[in-house]
Parts: sequence; C-alpha cells; structure tokens
Amino acid sequence: MSIMEYNGGSVIAMVGKDCVAIASDLRLGVQSLSISSNFQKIFPVTDRIYVGLPGLASDVTTLHEQFRYRVNMYTIKEEREIEPQTFAQMVSSTLYERRFGPYFIEPVIAGMQRTPSGSYEPFIAATDLIGCLNFAKDFVVAGTASSELFGAAEGLWEPDLEAEDLFETISQTLLNAVDRDTFSGWGAVVHVMTKDKVITRTLKGRMD
Amino acid sequence: MPDGSFSHPQQRSFNPYTENGGTILAIAGADFTVIAGDTRQSEGYSIQTRYAPKVFRLTDRAVLAVNGFAADGNMFVKKVKQRLEWYRHAHAKDMPLRAIARLIQTMLYAQRFFPYYVYNILGGIEEDGTGAVYSFDPVGSYEREACRAAGAAQSLVQPFLDNQIYFKNQQAAPGQSHPLHLPLSDVLSIVIDSFTSATERHIEVGDGLEMYVVLAKGRSAQGLEGGRGVQELTTRTDGDRVFVIRRELKKD
Repeated sequence: MSIMEYNGGSVIAMVGKDCVAIASDLRLGVQSLSISSNFQKIFPVTDRIYVGLPGLASDVTTLHEQFRYRVNMYTIKEEREIEPQTFAQMVSSTLYERRFGPYFIEPVIAGMQRTPSGSYEPFIAATDLIGCLNFAKDFVVAGTASSELFGAAEGLWEPDLEAEDLFETISQTLLNAVDRDTFSGWGAVVHVMTKDKVITRTLKGRMD
Repeated sequence: MPDGSFSHPQQRSFNPYTENGGTILAIAGADFTVIAGDTRQSEGYSIQTRYAPKVFRLTDRAVLAVNGFAADGNMFVKKVKQRLEWYRHAHAKDMPLRAIARLIQTMLYAQRFFPYYVYNILGGIEEDGTGAVYSFDPVGSYEREACRAAGAAQSLVQPFLDNQIYFKNQQAAPGQSHPLHLPLSDVLSIVIDSFTSATERHIEVGDGLEMYVVLAKGRSAQGLEGGRGVQELTTRTDGDRVFVIRRELKKD
C-alpha cells in the first residue's frame, strides 16, 4: 500500500503564449473506493499564483493551511504580494523541513511572474514530496496519473499556445490521462491565467 | 554456511524471467494495419543492444509484435512461425489472421503455469480485407481492437491513442461524426509522434523504430513504394503486401 496512491488524484500545469494553465481531477478516494467527486486540489495563493497539491488528502489540507500562513506572513513583512518564483522556493523549503518525515504531496505551481520591465511572463514549477524543484519550460505533471499525463502532454503540447488553445490542450491531456488511471478522474477543473484574468472551468468527465 | 554445514537456515533462488523494456504498438485502418516497435533492448539501466527487432513478419498478411522478456519473445515467435509453416505444408495456403490469433491463444495458454513473459500484438489483414489488431496478455486472453499499445511506455502511449484514434473526450462538429478509420498517412504520423514522445520521457524506449505496414490486396501502395527507409517484404504477388519502414529515434 503506497501512501502516495492512498487517496488518488493528479495535477498538471502548462505554459502558453503569455498565459499559463493548471488543471486537476476532482476525485477523492480511499484506495479503490471513491468518496467524493468534488475534492479540490488546486488553490489560489495570490491573484497570480495557483498551487496544486496531489497526494495524501489530509496533507493537502495541512499544506494548504501552512502555505496560507507563510504567504500571509510574507505579505505582511514585505508589504507586497509574493512572486511565483519566490513561492516555489517557499514550497520547496517547507517540504524539505520535513526531509525525514515528509508530507506526502507533490506540489505543482503555476503563475504569472512579474519581470523587471513590469510585464508578466508565465511560470510553472513542480517539486517532489521533499521539495526538489523542477522549473520546466513546457509542462509539469504530478499525481497517480503522472505517467499517463507525461505521455499525453508530450504528444499534444506545442509551444506558444494562445489561452483558448492552451485550455483545450490541457483539458484533453488531463481527461485522456485520468481515464487510463483508476485512482484519478471523476471530473476535472481547469484554470487558465493571463496577465489580467483567470478563467476557471469545471469539466465533465467519465464517472467510472 | 561456507563450511558446508546445514546448522543454519539457507535459501537459494533463481529467477527465470527479466524485463527487457521497449514498447510496441498497432493501429488498424479500413484496409491496412500498422504494427510498430522500437528496437532498444535493455536490462535494468543498461542497454544490451540498440537493434533488437520486436516486430516480425509471419505471413504476407500477418505481423506479430512481441514485448516483455526478450528470450521468451524470440522463442515464442520461432514456435509460431514453425506452426504456420506446418499449416502451409498441410493446407497449401497461409493461415488466416483470426486463426493465427486463436493459435497464439492456445500456444500461450499451454504454458499457463510457466508462462511466456510477453505481451503480444498481432496485426494484419482479415480474410474480408479489413485491417485488424489482436492484443494478448501473457496467458492468452485476447481481443480484436482498432488500436493497442503495450510494453514499458504503454501508460504513456495508450491515453494519446485513445484521444487521437478513438477521439475519446472529443465531440464531433454538429451534424458530423468521427471517422471510424484514419488514412494511412495520418496513422503513420500518430505512430511516429507516439514513439518520439515515449522516447522523450521513458528511458527504456529509443534508438530505432520499425513500422510494419500490411496493405490489403488491391490497395494502392502510393506513398510507400520507394519512400525513404521503406522496404517491401511481400513473398507472393497478387495478395496482401507487407512493408517495413525504419526510422531513427533518439539514443539518449
């Protein structure tokens, strides 16, 4: 019995042209028994950062609260919002603090990063359960359907997708990947972020 | 113990199986079938060879892809070919595809308690001239399908195939429906994309790609004959035809 696969669930994030997308399934289960089809694994951190937390459901809640606390402390001290890059480092150190008794979560971070010129550029990152960061330029995946997500994303993703096309690409990638994973599925949620707005859509999927 | 005494409990073991990596894939069209496999053979993190074929021509209308334990795979193909030769001698014709599929089932199930550690995918042309794919588990359970991936990168490739071949999670334009079969050029593109994707993300896939194309009798071989890296393997004229297309894959 793997703790990483106890509750099931998967998250993916992709980069597009001046936009990012992050998506997850909505299943919560206890091994093969499905409990909920509306278990949110992706949370807003700021207006321009989302974090996905696939893994052990109890640690999803714990880490979400932990991140909320640390981001609030950062905002008060610095008197400004945290940037995605900085938040990724915060996630990494939070997890590595528990190096020898880890949270069973593999976070995925997506956001729009402010550049020195004042514009915004897409940012994605993912870590393993002890906080080893992966700053990919194309897409990152995590969760029980990670190998299916890697295969589907590698075949469907292309550079410089516009927001609407990125939505279609990440949705198709996620839906087809979770349909081949018994621990993921039961609906999906997709967030597409541009510099000035986020579009959130809940998708219907196979319910088996 | 080293002194040869039996005063302590001892245990010995021998594992007759190993996994040799690689991936195979087959897609059926209306009047053709594509059966493909990479050519890397590995054991653990080591590459044993960059060219070990996993896809074999059985007859002018049947091609078999074998993946899993390479020693068992080669032996199994050898025995299937032997049975097909006996059939030719007895009946003066090639065995039909659906009969080969049933033969493979009985040959695999005969080893139910010491199985061939292989996943088989049989592709070719049915007697009615349609493209067909049969996929097997190691003990002979089988099914006819339109497409199937197996092996190390099955979990990477199959969701992509579900999407691109079966149009899963896609809605057809109003008043229209999804095609049941794709043209050969589209299928070959999907096969190449599947293997380049698998090569990118799976360490056991790469080096070379062999795509066997079986064409139904009378179907035009336009675009295949004289193409880059294309070789015809057909033995008799006026029947179904077999081609192989070889491509390089990344070697890292």
